[in-house]
Amino acid sequence: MRELKYSEFLRLNKELGTNLKSNPYNITILSNITVHQIMEILEYPLRTEGLNANVEIGDYNNIVQDSKKYQDSNAVIVFWELSNIVDGLQFRIELFNNDQLDEIIEKTKSEIDLVLKNLGKTSLVLINKFTGLHFCSFNLGKNNLEKLADQLNQYLENKISVNVRLVELEKVITNVGLEESLDLRYYYSSKALYTVDFFKSYAEHVKPFIMSVNGKARKALIFDCDNTLWKGILGEDGFDNIEMSTRTKGGAIFSEIQAMALALNKQGILIGLCSKNNPEDVEGVIKTHPDMQLREKHITINKSNWSDKVSNLKEIAQELNIGLDSLVFVDDSSFEVNLIREHLPEITVLQVPERLYVYPKMLRENFGLFYNLSFTAEDRKKIDMYRQQVKRETVKKKFTDIEDYLASLELKITIHLDDESIVPRMSQMSQKTNQFNLTTKRYTEDNIKNFIENDASKAFTFSVTDKFGDSGVTGLCIINIDDDSKAADIDTLMMSCRIIGRNLEYAFIDYIIDVLKENKINNVKAKYIRTQKNEQVKEFYDNCSFSLIESTDTVRNYTLDISNYEPKQLNYIEVNIA
Amino acid sequence: MHNKVEDRIKNIMSAVFEISTGEINDESSPDTIESWDSLKHMNMVVALEEEFNVQFTDDNITELINMKLIKVVLLERLPADRL
Repeated sequence: MRELKYSEFLRLNKELGTNLKSNPYNITILSNITVHQIMEILEYPLRTEGLNANVEIGDYNNIVQDSKKYQDSNAVIVFWELSNIVDGLQFRIELFNNDQLDEIIEKTKSEIDLVLKNLGKTSLVLINKFTGLHFCSFNLGKNNLEKLADQLNQYLENKISVNVRLVELEKVITNVGLEESLDLRYYYSSKALYTVDFFKSYAEHVKPFIMSVNGKARKALIFDCDNTLWKGILGEDGFDNIEMSTRTKGGAIFSEIQAMALALNKQGILIGLCSKNNPEDVEGVIKTHPDMQLREKHITINKSNWSDKVSNLKEIAQELNIGLDSLVFVDDSSFEVNLIREHLPEITVLQVPERLYVYPKMLRENFGLFYNLSFTAEDRKKIDMYRQQVKRETVKKKFTDIEDYLASLELKITIHLDDESIVPRMSQMSQKTNQFNLTTKRYTEDNIKNFIENDASKAFTFSVTDKFGDSGVTGLCIINIDDDSKAADIDTLMMSCRIIGRNLEYAFIDYIIDVLKENKINNVKAKYIRTQKNEQVKEFYDNCSFSLIESTDTVRNYTLDISNYEPKQLNYIEVNIA
Repeated sequence: MHNKVEDRIKNIMSAVFEISTGEINDESSPDTIESWDSLKHMNMVVALEEEFNVQFTDDNITELINMKLIKVVLLERLPADRL
């Protein structure tokens, strides 16, 4: 899209707009500078993906008031330009005394608070990080404008909730180049600062956020093998002569490519192969080649055969039960690349560049295609499920989504309350559970006994079975109750990692909230304490209708008015009481 | 003469102001084209600069207020071999 001229943009965008019949996706830009040229430039790349994007610009320098007016937009983007927080700040700031500076900081912080409050329910809010780069790139050290930017960014980081993402504006500027990003001709007369080139780069940068909330993120990355995953042709050069290790000049790049694929796989992206080769040869490399990083457990689907790649890719989409538009395909051959682009235009096709050293960069630049706003443990689990789905080709039943899959498992949980007989297991869980653990408090058996014997606390556990067997006691929740104030506090909530991804946590919480209701509790407090390993449950309480009241780098505090609780009532999980 | 340049200008104006090229003549100006406001003016300047690979001065920008003047300014700035 960078090669398109601005006038071509305007024309093509208008054409697309008249052809798209789906409901408009309304994006509002709030700004204290003139940014009207972003409208079509942001609409166009989204419209080419079938999203009927409709960009509107709020009133000039009216961010706070407009944040209320436009809170029902599908997405709101905030361009808060530091140099125009007060007129001419970029040169006046060095003349301000401390009181004046403090006043500006306080004013801006309270405006940030108001904007975040007004946009609290908007499903996607993007706020550009503050930067002084435009006016300070030649400064040695940091001047006051940059220090102010740092301070306000810090404030933003601590304040934002789950629906808000900060945009790394300086990265966008870096990609374009500072000189090419700015057109100061209009700055003094019209407060317009950025060039069309900047807006193009900006649109590309934020596109993944918008694609992700619209369910348009790609789900699978499919590789050809020869000269795509390794250097050389397996069928000709042989097992011993293909290269994919950092020890060889030719292999280093492919080693990096495989590592990148592994990293994507860790984030829940499915990896597949589609290559013209003898299937048993490719199997052999996957299983036994010492330099191969992508192994059987990473590769969800493998179509190494002599059929044409159009049929193979269609089958891949079918067997994974995802759309063709969820696939990204990488191949080195112009023939294959053009064939797929022509016959399956829904698939995003990347060609291995002739200059091999730009191959890793090209793949990295396309990571945004897979960007997932809310990456959860479930995504990781999905990979196994997709694999099972592929493996069970004999099983007639096709699962249309995870819920169907879960429903087929015949999940049953049995809940125990203050059960002394499982104290050792409860203590052991608290010692060992890292991933699905909201507060990661470690308790001895004596600690646990105290909770059980104390009337002011309750210890819930659950055990789980499915049609494949019994997973035993795998969930624990400890709650402190203050009968006087009718309030409860979730001290501990954890689940064993082997049962993650089955939504059992929601059934568990549903039940616990029921019990608290019976006990006439009105309010529940809860907490997420960050550790190295529990990132995946960061937003668990957000998903359970709790309200985030305070958030820092390490702790997120929540509260729940129990009458506002929305039970998930998952009908595919049977709940029994011991 | 310079019909090619004129056609290219008309194409730009048509895209920016969302009107057909047939509606554009030498006298076209903010007075005759309703959508030609100060923001659209900026868009037109950027699009013309890109199309003809020139950079207008501040003074040029304020001069570009009708089709005839746009042609004059552009012809001044364009080297003969790019016409």
